[in-house]
Amino acid sequence: MTETTTGATRATTPTAIQMSGVTVEFADPLGGTKQVLKGIDLTVPAGQFIALVGKSGCGKTTLLNMVAALVRPTTGTVTVGGETPKAARRNLGFMLARDALLPWRTAQGNVEYGLELRGVPKQERRETARRWLEAVHLGGSERLWPWQLSQGMRQRVALARTWALDPDVLLMDEPFAALDVTTRVAVQEEFLRLWQSEQHKTVIFVTHDLGEAIALADRVVLLGEGRVLYDVEVGLERPRDLQTVAGEPRYQEIYNQLRSSI
Amino acid sequence: MTRELEEMTITAPDNATPVREPRRDPAETARRKLARRQTTKVRALQALLLVAWIGLWQVTADQEWLDPVLGKSPGQSWDYFVGAIESGELWTNTKATMAAVVVSWVLASLVGAVCGIALGLLPTVERVISPFLDAANAMPRIALAPMFIVAFGIGMTAKVALACTLVFFIVLSGARAGVRSTDSEWLRLSAVLGATKLQLFWKIMLPVATPAIFAGLRLGLIYALLGVVGSELISAKDGLGQLIASYSSLFQMEAVYAILILLAIVAVLLNQLMVTAERWLLRWQAPADV
Ligand SMILES: Nc1ncnc2c1ncn2[C@@H]1O[C@H](COP(=O)(O)OP(=O)(O)OP(=O)(O)O)[C@@H](O)[C@H]1O
Ligand SMILES: [Mg+2]
Repeated sequence: MTETTTGATRATTPTAIQMSGVTVEFADPLGGTKQVLKGIDLTVPAGQFIALVGKSGCGKTTLLNMVAALVRPTTGTVTVGGETPKAARRNLGFMLARDALLPWRTAQGNVEYGLELRGVPKQERRETARRWLEAVHLGGSERLWPWQLSQGMRQRVALARTWALDPDVLLMDEPFAALDVTTRVAVQEEFLRLWQSEQHKTVIFVTHDLGEAIALADRVVLLGEGRVLYDVEVGLERPRDLQTVAGEPRYQEIYNQLRSSI
Repeated sequence: MTRELEEMTITAPDNATPVREPRRDPAETARRKLARRQTTKVRALQALLLVAWIGLWQVTADQEWLDPVLGKSPGQSWDYFVGAIESGELWTNTKATMAAVVVSWVLASLVGAVCGIALGLLPTVERVISPFLDAANAMPRIALAPMFIVAFGIGMTAKVALACTLVFFIVLSGARAGVRSTDSEWLRLSAVLGATKLQLFWKIMLPVATPAIFAGLRLGLIYALLGVVGSELISAKDGLGQLIASYSSLFQMEAVYAILILLAIVAVLLNQLMVTAERWLLRWQAPADV
């Protein structure tokens, strides 16, 4: 089923992420186990933007952590670009609700961090970082420390840091949840613009916000009780205008469906 | 609201970005000027206090409030000071003391910081040995001085050894506390980016622990001085502590006072040096008043 070998052969619309019969159990404090994911089968084609929604504690972060090889499935298999999640890490971008900027690095230094860990030479690192800061409208702020940046700016630095590694797969865990409404829409637009501007990357986007899920994603998956409760193709035209997309009938339709199954 | 959105995404980067850039803000410049003026005031008051203290010392000597053996005037101490500088006695002994201070401080700080961070990375090991560390740290280290002197003789090694036993634990506990403030999200991110243990050490643990390590280094520098002088007081072939011991036994208290004051000045200078280094290395931290 997963004929793909690397993310580079994206042109043949291969499968980016494949989960079959995945369960995850955690030890609970009483010595027993608690099953958080109960048999997940999910296939994500390369280039798809998939949003993961569901009640708090339903296992969204666990699922994402599994793809990032931070959590091992108890049973079942997960492959990313045909490889094990661990081997696929070099093609992975990861973004969290808190920006996780390193306070002792400037904006520029933070964007360079991932490149540095991967042994990219200094000059190239500099240029790449500067280019991506420019791309998120932070040209000129390279030398500011994180405490000198606003929340929105910090999250945009995190965005640049993720993008600078040119990952094939982007894992995002409520990346904009900590932002106020105005800033959030601005950063969402920034993000969507980056995603649409080039060959599409595969995105798994966890969010609490149904509206955000529908507005941004190609496909919305609703998790509940450790299973996939609902899986829908959004089918709204791209490029989308985040200011008006909520007025579309299709948006309303999906919103209501999700609302009633949650 | 839409206007605001446009501003956030579309405005030219130059006027959109510098939010709290201190250099360009006129209010910040004014605040700095005020701070400078206050510093001048503080310095003037400090000078006044110093003069008052010397005056009080002079009065104590004039009025013979103290036993004549102890009651020496600032003038007498100054005379000793000038004489000892001319004879080179102070210079050679200060050099001996400071060499031991620097060697012990650098050595013990390096080992202490590395051990502290390593313990932070290896929680099981930390749990096993932490009671032993606490016990060792509670020991009155000056009691070890005779042992070191027997073991290493009256040269530099014994002083360095004693000072190291003080500095090591201070820097170690600073580093341990520092590593504990690591944010788990930084580790999660680094893991996904494929960081090795060594990279985690250099790029996360060391910078995280730097503020706490610095607090330890500053305290450690003073303790290095105390340890070295303490060891010299007990027995040494040179050093300011040894000078104090021999002048005390001759009841030349004016010399003892002069040397104690010299030690105090050295301590203040060392501390200033650390403050400057700290300010530069920790420039990424937000100023406390923001
Ligand atoms: N390392 C762990 N050990 C034990 N239990 C865990 C662990 N990680 C997660 N859990 C449990 O798994 C369940 C799902 O957690 P998860 O973080 O995946 O939820 P979530 O859907 O991301 O929730 P939220 O929307 O609040 O972030 C929770 O009940 C949580 O207590
Ligand atoms: Mg979560």
